[in-house]
This record gives sequence, structure tokens and C-alpha cells, in this order.
Amino acid sequence: MSDDKFKLLEERKTRYLAAMNLEKPDKVPIRLMLSEFSAKHAGYTFQEIYYELDKNIDCVNKLLNDFDLDTTGGAPSLWWASLHDAVGAKYLKFAGRELDVNTQFQYHEEEYMLAEDYDAFIENPTEWILNTYMPRIHKEFAEPGSYRANVALIKGGIGMLTQLGANQKAWGTWAPEYGGVPTFTAFSKAPFDTLADTLRGLSGIMMDLYQRPEKVKAAIEALIPHNIFYGMATSGGEMEFPLFIPLHRGAFPFLNPKQWKEFYWPSLKKVIEAFWANGKRTLFYAEGNWTPYLESIAELPEKSIVFHVDMTDMAQAKKILGGRFCISGNVPNTMLAFGKPDEVKEYVKRLIDEYAADGGFIIDAAAVILADAKEENIRALIEAAREYGVY
Amino acid sequence: MHHLTDELSIAIVGLEEEKVMALVKERLQAGVKPLDIVKKLQDGMTEVGNLFEAQEYYLSELINCGAIMKAAMVELEPHLAGSEQEYRGNIVIGTVKGDIHDLGKDIVVMLLKGTGYNVLDLGVDVPPEKFVDAVKEHNAPLLALSVLLTSCLESMKEAVTAVKEAGLDVKVLIGGPMIDDKVTAYCGADFGSTLANDGVKIAEKVIGA
Repeated sequence: MSDDKFKLLEERKTRYLAAMNLEKPDKVPIRLMLSEFSAKHAGYTFQEIYYELDKNIDCVNKLLNDFDLDTTGGAPSLWWASLHDAVGAKYLKFAGRELDVNTQFQYHEEEYMLAEDYDAFIENPTEWILNTYMPRIHKEFAEPGSYRANVALIKGGIGMLTQLGANQKAWGTWAPEYGGVPTFTAFSKAPFDTLADTLRGLSGIMMDLYQRPEKVKAAIEALIPHNIFYGMATSGGEMEFPLFIPLHRGAFPFLNPKQWKEFYWPSLKKVIEAFWANGKRTLFYAEGNWTPYLESIAELPEKSIVFHVDMTDMAQAKKILGGRFCISGNVPNTMLAFGKPDEVKEYVKRLIDEYAADGGFIIDAAAVILADAKEENIRALIEAAREYGVY
Repeated sequence: MHHLTDELSIAIVGLEEEKVMALVKERLQAGVKPLDIVKKLQDGMTEVGNLFEAQEYYLSELINCGAIMKAAMVELEPHLAGSEQEYRGNIVIGTVKGDIHDLGKDIVVMLLKGTGYNVLDLGVDVPPEKFVDAVKEHNAPLLALSVLLTSCLESMKEAVTAVKEAGLDVKVLIGGPMIDDKVTAYCGADFGSTLANDGVKIAEKVIGA
């Protein structure tokens, strides 16, 4: 590690951690979740970054070379499509397989868990997932115990380890050679989202809330220890950086306020409190609009989350959560795609003027940045943050 | 909260599935014209759309109401055969090429069907020429395009351009979470919205109540 890269790494890390601790760093930290944008920037097709681990990783090398980012989310593609091909995943669609080479990967939502599966799920969630759910969502596991399914399980396991190993190795260069600081080091989900996103699907869960509310509650209860364990296991003992929870179906207007308080919030609160009790902070990545729920979110222990603003009312978020949690966000992604650099600069300046003065603030886009964002707008965002974001 | 007086319309707004089904059966037996029963259900569904817009109802209520409506229509379907169901007009809808998301589209379809339009749903990942063909075939005065991914807005623009270049007499409505005036203008659409119930309002504007 060269001295200047080491210095850069330390500066950025100190800046990022200070903001999350509600302190005033030297500058407002810049955190961008640059996903498919980075494939475009590096000159790769989406198919290449989904299927080739080295190209997926190389995107970040190029980003770190070209942009002054205090923290970065890691390789743009969360998924290694080759692994999902090896097990015949039905729920993901990738560029170069079902989609054009430059089309965003997508999740295909279905009622993969049926209403009659609740009892077996509640009895033993992981056993049900392995024996019933995995064969349903993967063509290669269709006949559990068969030669084909056994081979696929081995391939899947090897594939997962290969991908994790490649990412781990990449951080071994991003940090010392580029001064790259990880945005998060662990992952989990809200128990309601685990059930509603990937198991029951939106229509399924919405019917359940009226037809079998007790089963929904019992399933969520069964997921709490599972999601806590998953978060702590993925953090692997790393406690400085936050754990990432992308929050989905607790956004307005999925659930009415009574349902939100009854079904969404208590279990999520327990999960976040458990992380905090273990010394791990949560990056509360509130996708969509969470304005009606800010008062409840304020109940969480001080500094236990970073509240990310997508479409939540920023002024309300600052008023209710400011001084209690670090706040991040919310340069609109449509502005990054369709706006002009001047507009972006103006927006960033206003965010800093109005919300960053007392520290505890991180500049970021509203959501994960896809390939529609223009490079000149990303540059304008960073320039403005550096120009106006000095304490 | 609303002006509805019919028991069936009120029952569907209240999400009372058993009551809705009982009333539908009761009225069929009593010889009420199936189309009149459908009309009462539609009145309820219109109110549910309004309540959603007023933020009194959330997606959970909306989806539930759609399921009740669907169950009631299954009951009514055999009795409707032969009687010419009068639709308020044809609307072609689909999610644009490259995007496979259907939740937003399905909610709009539910509201439009529920309020009496003949909705021709082309599904997801629909190429521009399919929209053109469907608008021609059904002589639809309104085409509704759905998108979730901001990266598929180019594809939205291509679909709108294809329809406009084909010289069809059709208004184009685009819907998705990132749609604003700027995006609507960029895509060349006639209307744009982020709100499901706007689909119904714009249909009324284009096609007439």
C-alpha cells in the first residue's frame, strides 16, 4: 500500500464513520450505490458483468480510479448469473439469457410459497426452504435427492463460494490500492419483506393479511432469529461498517398504518435492536416513501441506523430523525438520468445547506444508480458535494 | 365517506367478501339483470379507487378488493353469456420491452376493468410493434404503458414513438414510479402519472364516462 493511498483510505473511513456517529467530519461524505452505471462506465455489457466475475470486479477498479467516492457498495452485480444458471433459477432473469445483453437483470415475482405452506414453514423455516422452496424455484432441484439435483447442489455451493471468494479478494485490492471504503459489510432483511417479497409475493401477502393474519404473524416470528443470524453471520465479526437492509414493503402505500404497526414494524425493530446490541449498525435503506412511519422509526436506539431517504420527505426526516440518526440521500435518480449538471449541483447544494450543517449527513442518490444516469451528472454531484460540503 | 347507497356497492368498499358473494347470488336468483349487478360492483370499485387516491385506502385494501371483484365476476360470468356486456371502451395496456414488472400494471388493469372498460392486457416485456398491432386491431382510443425500471425509459420512448409514427388515433398514457412532466415529455406521451387511479380518470377524459 502506498502512503498516499493509505492516507486517502483513512481520511475517507474517518469521514464516513464520523457522519454515521452524528459527528461533523471534515467534509460531507459521498456515498453512491453505483450499480449498472459502472458497467456502462467501464465499457462492459450487462451480460459481461452478470456472467464474468473479473469484469464485474473491474468495474469498481475503474470507478475508484475515476471518481472521488468516500465509500462504495462493491461490485455492481450482486448476482453471479453463471451460478444461477447452474442451478436453473426460475426467479431471476439475466441479460444474455432471457433478456437482451444490455437489459437490467430482473426478479420474477410469483407466489412461490402457497397459503397451505404456512404450517410447514412456521414449523421449520430452513427445512421448508431447502426441501420445498428450493426445488420450486430452481429447475435443477426439481426432484430432490436425484442425481441431477445432488450435482446441482454441489455446483451451487461451489459457485457461491467462488463468487464470495472473488469479492473478498477484490476488497483486498480496493482498500489498499484505491483507498476504497466499503459502504456496508453485512446484509439482512425485514422479516415481513422476506415473507412478502420472495415467498408469498405481493398479492399473496395482501390476501393473507385479511384471510390468515395469525399465520402471517407466526411466520414473521419464525423469521426473526433467522434474519438476525443471517445478518451477524454475513458481518463475520466486522463491526465498524453498517449492515445493509434494503426495505421494500413497509413503504407507503403498501400497508395501512394499523397493518404497518402490527405486521411490519415490531419484527423489523427487534432485528435492528439485536444487531445494535451486538455492536452492528443498520443502513436503513428505505426504498420509496416512508414519511408516515418516521415517528415509529425514531423509537430505535440512537445512532443504531443510518436512515436513507429515497422518496421520503427529507424535511420531515430531518425534523423527526435528525440528531438521532445519520441521514443519507436523496438526489433524484430521474435528475441524474434526465437532468442537467447545473440542476444536480443546485440540488446537492440545497441538500447540504438545509440538512448537513450540524453533521450526521451523507450525500447519496435516492436509489441505486442504473445505466440511465449520465456521467456528467454523477461528476456534478461529486463536484458540488466537495465544493459546498466542507465543514 | 361516500355517496353510495346500494348494499352491494357498499359491501365491496367494505371488503366484505362473504356479503358480496351472498348478495350477488341472492340478486341473480331474484332475477336482477347480471349487468346491473356488475354495475353496482363497478360503482364500489370506483369508490375504492377514490379512497386509494385520498390515501384512506392502501394497496392492501386495493388488492383485496380486486380479489373480491374477481370472485364475484367468476360467479356472474356464466350468466353474462349471451347478454352483450357494454364496455365503456377499449384500452390496450402492457409493460414495455425490457421490463418484466407487472404489479403496477395489474393494479391499473384491476381498476380499469373494475370500472367497466374492456382492457386488453398484453403482459410484460412487450415490444413496440405489438402495441401498434393491438391498438389497430381493437381500435383502442387509449394505450397505457407501464414501466418500473428507469433504465427502461428508452424502451418506453420507443413504444410511444412507434405508435405515434403509425399515425394511429390513440392517446398514450405512461405510468411508473419515476414518471413526471419531464419524463412524459421526453417519451412523447400524452399523459403521465405515478398514481394508479389516474388511469381511470384519464380513461374517462379520453373515452368519456
